[in-house]
Amino acid sequence: MYEIDGELLPYYTEIDPQKRLVILDSLPDCEAADFAREVYNDRYSDHERKGRKNIDWWLWRCICLQILYGRGGFFKRFRDREIDAITNELRMNDSDESHAPYLYHEYRNTARRYLSTCNSPGYASRFMGFRQASGDEKILKACSDIWQMSEGISRIAGNGGKMRLWISAFRDEIAEYDTVCLDEYERLSREEK
Amino acid sequence: MEQNRFAAAFKQNAIWLVFIIEIAIFAYFNPKFLGLANIVNISRQVSYYGIASIGMTFVILIAGIDLSIGSIIALVNVVCAYLMMNMGWNMWLAILVSIIMATLIGVLNGWMVASIGIPAIIATFASQTVFRGLSYLLSGGLPIPGVVLENPTFGFFARWSLNRWAVFKAMGDIGLIPICAIIMVICFAVGSFILNKSYFGRYFYAIGGNEEASELSGIRVNKMKYLIYALSGFFAGLAGIVLLSRSGSAQSTAAIGFEFEVITCVVLGGVSVAGGIGHMSGVIAGVLIIGSLKSGMIMMNVSEYTQMVVQGLVLAVAVGFDCFSKKRQAS
Repeated sequence: MYEIDGELLPYYTEIDPQKRLVILDSLPDCEAADFAREVYNDRYSDHERKGRKNIDWWLWRCICLQILYGRGGFFKRFRDREIDAITNELRMNDSDESHAPYLYHEYRNTARRYLSTCNSPGYASRFMGFRQASGDEKILKACSDIWQMSEGISRIAGNGGKMRLWISAFRDEIAEYDTVCLDEYERLSREEK
Repeated sequence: MEQNRFAAAFKQNAIWLVFIIEIAIFAYFNPKFLGLANIVNISRQVSYYGIASIGMTFVILIAGIDLSIGSIIALVNVVCAYLMMNMGWNMWLAILVSIIMATLIGVLNGWMVASIGIPAIIATFASQTVFRGLSYLLSGGLPIPGVVLENPTFGFFARWSLNRWAVFKAMGDIGLIPICAIIMVICFAVGSFILNKSYFGRYFYAIGGNEEASELSGIRVNKMKYLIYALSGFFAGLAGIVLLSRSGSAQSTAAIGFEFEVITCVVLGGVSVAGGIGHMSGVIAGVLIIGSLKSGMIMMNVSEYTQMVVQGLVLAVAVGFDCFSKKRQAS
């Protein structure tokens, strides 16, 4: 969707925070690199100041969006308020169009990091971890997770406009994850949960 | 879209409809089922299931299981009664020590699951056997009677109702609410707060949904597992105290198979055995359904063996429904 400078591409494709930092430090000073540094500091810092290390705050907010998707209507007002706060933390309210390509790739990087965990032995396991999921089951669960974090939650909150960039980044990332993923994502969108 | 939202809301609350239908069926066959005396009795009966099911909900939410809660309840029964009757301890101190012991057993379960890596079902099954055996050893396999007779205040948890106090006597029927039911409601409120409003609850869902992603996002997964199993032990301990207060004597054979009834309540309430999905409101409905089912069957003179068959079938249907819906979602 958005093309970026070739020098920045390794930074946005790498998912390990330490390796990303090394790449980031090697980048020449420019507006794009400055913005990437700003987002890096925002993403990998302990926002709750609990002294935790190696925090991927944006990944945590992704997970929160998915949890909020599953929350019932009883706490709807609180839920909508929280979704709004999370989307702001994830800079979805950034109106500067020049930032859009970098945010798009940062969002894709977040989705990629989530998807990198979707092949672990315990992921999507059944019946209290007794039965491990097959490869296909893991892929379908990953599609469902990504859909809930992006389009699913935007439908619940009714903020598709604000989350436009986020949704397209997640959709594009899942489409590259496996051949069946885009179809599955579209199927979930059609079902309009 | 509106239609789908309605369908989703209906699906989420369908368990309450099941509860209402169940009540209607039992009331049709026996009008006394909806009598005040029976409602009070059901609320007493479900209270210790309800209290224990809160901890079990947390455990199942992280895709775990705790098979030791029945044994924890038996041990809490025996230890608390032993301290009071044989060692002459103060009632409140004995209760405190028993509940701390139950919580520490939970921590031990958490240690086996999180730090050693033993599958939860094996670790808690081992605990179940060890602590059931300990309760037999401590009591010599004999009941410890007279707990409430010699310490009438101990009956506070299960035998007392609000109408013990003059202020509630004036309120008539409201005063009939048993203290144990109030304890259960408070526990559910706390459990609901933990799940919906605290970061801990959010962590529970996250770990159940994707453990590795939770770890990467900064959650100390092992510490959380310790906490969750400790909470399960704590609530089982509290349920044990309520049960002891109700029965009035401690028995090492108490609560055999109790964990399966609690699991039935939790799974029936919509908590997924795969982890990461579930609500406390559903668990409340699950507890009420099982409590009403037991009471209704007793009132209809259904034999105890048939009751076991029915409860087993309910567990199979609840888990089967969860697995089936997951399978259908995946296909």
